[in-house]
Amino acid sequence: MGSVLALSSSPGHHKWPFSTEPPPSRWDVHPAHWDSPPRWERRDGRLPNPGSFHSLHRSCKDVFPHQIEGVKMIVNKTLSSFFKVSHTLHLSAVSPSYYRFHVEHLQSDDYSKDKDAPALIGEMDSSGSLNAHALLHLSERVRARTVFQTQQSQFVTWQFETEYRGSDFTAAVTVANPDILRESVILVAHFLQSVSSGLVLGGELVYHRGRAEEGGILTLAGQYSRPNWVVTLNAGKGGAHVSYYHRANKQIQVGVEFEASTRTQETTTSFGYQMELPEANMVFRGMINSRCIIGGVLEKRLTPLPATLIMGAFVNHRGDKLQVGLGVNVG
Amino acid sequence: MGGVLAASPPPPAAGSSASPGLTVPPGFGMPSVSTVVPPAESPLPNPGAFDECHRRCKEVFPLQMEGVRVVVNKGLSNHFQVNHSVLLSTTGDSSYRFGATFVGSKQTGPAEFFPVMVGDMDNSGSLNAQIIHQVTSRVRSKLAFQTQQQKFVNWQGDAEFRGEDFTATVTLGNPDVLAGSGIVVAHYLQSVTPALALGGELVYHRRPGEEGSVTSLVGRYTGSNYVATVTLGSAGAHASYYHKANDQLQVGVEFEASARMQDTSVSFGYQLDVPKANLVFKGSVDSNWVVGATLEKKLLPLPLSLLLCSFLNHQKNKVQCGFGITVG
Repeated sequence: MGSVLALSSSPGHHKWPFSTEPPPSRWDVHPAHWDSPPRWERRDGRLPNPGSFHSLHRSCKDVFPHQIEGVKMIVNKTLSSFFKVSHTLHLSAVSPSYYRFHVEHLQSDDYSKDKDAPALIGEMDSSGSLNAHALLHLSERVRARTVFQTQQSQFVTWQFETEYRGSDFTAAVTVANPDILRESVILVAHFLQSVSSGLVLGGELVYHRGRAEEGGILTLAGQYSRPNWVVTLNAGKGGAHVSYYHRANKQIQVGVEFEASTRTQETTTSFGYQMELPEANMVFRGMINSRCIIGGVLEKRLTPLPATLIMGAFVNHRGDKLQVGLGVNVG
Repeated sequence: MGGVLAASPPPPAAGSSASPGLTVPPGFGMPSVSTVVPPAESPLPNPGAFDECHRRCKEVFPLQMEGVRVVVNKGLSNHFQVNHSVLLSTTGDSSYRFGATFVGSKQTGPAEFFPVMVGDMDNSGSLNAQIIHQVTSRVRSKLAFQTQQQKFVNWQGDAEFRGEDFTATVTLGNPDVLAGSGIVVAHYLQSVTPALALGGELVYHRRPGEEGSVTSLVGRYTGSNYVATVTLGSAGAHASYYHKANDQLQVGVEFEASARMQDTSVSFGYQLDVPKANLVFKGSVDSNWVVGATLEKKLLPLPLSLLLCSFLNHQKNKVQCGFGITVG
């Protein structure tokens, strides 16, 4: 949920140069896009708040299946309306197996469905890696977020973000990995403005400074929404990212994504779809990529039991590699 | 199956098309051995084939599979059945396999028809073929061929004679007249009492320059709901115990010792049938620190069957999971 930037010295998994999010730690994330009132339906005639910069591409990204591999078992336990705990056990063939303990403490139980609810989230791995997020609502319009990530004993990310949500704009400033001893820091400024009922324009300015170098990257962003589809564009010197999300009917959602990066000099196009069959308690997500990767993940709720079965397979035709995953979510 | 040799005839899988290799049509299944309790005056029953001795216990254990497998079975007529199977593998090569089964019209039992011809071909050209025929009322013979791409790896023929209370089989494996090599295997199994069957196996192998033989003895005791089998020989020992606890639960324990590889292993396996949920669950624990499980479920309105499998090797810290769909 934080933004880890490609130009920082930390190791990371980035496909494009500007803001990227680490994959959500649970598999059952639901797109909140269609639960809250759509922004073009505000009754008072004023333009709605455009949300945060990180969630611009989220509705399209939620359609794509997450790559799963090995055997995973997740036990979720809700101890009270504020406190949730989950244990994850992952037996994997390609990466080391781990046990992970995840804790969430919500500050208030009003927004339990909202992804941006004020919360303290912590996650600890069996190898000692820690992942901690604190999201606070300092006032009605000001939010603060702090992210700490460690890889075993070494700190990989420490960043602090402040976001101001105005009536029809959002402005955020992030300080990532400030290091006084090494004199390095990454500063990111985001700004999003609702221009009309469907159109949101904005930009991102990244300034990074190390001992020997410093630089800045400007990216412009735009998003246009209609009741059934959303198109989002990020373009800058680091590359471009275009995504299109379409809701065909209550059961089928489709997403198309195009990414181009000047740093790695390559482009990728992905097509994904999500099919929901509520009568069969089933959700299927499939995707196909210009890197010749085809994947599908099936999630089925086994209804008398509070359990969900997840089966998925990803095939990389170019390298002729297959990855199969099975998972059970309890609770 | 005593005498751990590569050239002993590959046993046909009992009617299940989820295993790789040959599929056998229904009817060519297990002789009903374990629940026979004949009255005191009738003669001793035929003990069945030699290879079936450890079969009951082995069927309880889950079969390891990995990757994604799709099998489509199509019955074209009462005599002919065809199957296509695509395996996308995580470790090895993916493959497509085409198999065909032909069942003749000579009927010898309630559901047994002969001749049976089973063949399948791989996308790389490897062939597996078997022809089984009931030559006379007591003699059944089988020919099997196996190639690895274009090279013949296995070619063997055998003849089995079923007497009143004994079974004798002679198998000739990979006979090569030009090189002067081959393997001859002789099996004999005799019913001593209605529950006890004793027998032996003699394997003679010859290659230019060396020849040798291996013998082993087999004993099988069948109780009301259990079967215990022991095989002892110069190549090692193999003991298995099968127990049917109730209609839903079957348990098997197996012990294998090999003199050649100088190691032993013990496995415990169980099979749980839940017919109301159309579910079969098999689990196994091994002394090699391997834990595995297989779940097979029929998705009923559709003629589909889903198979989930996962094996975990704690010693090497490896996980293999796979799933498969069988259509038809």
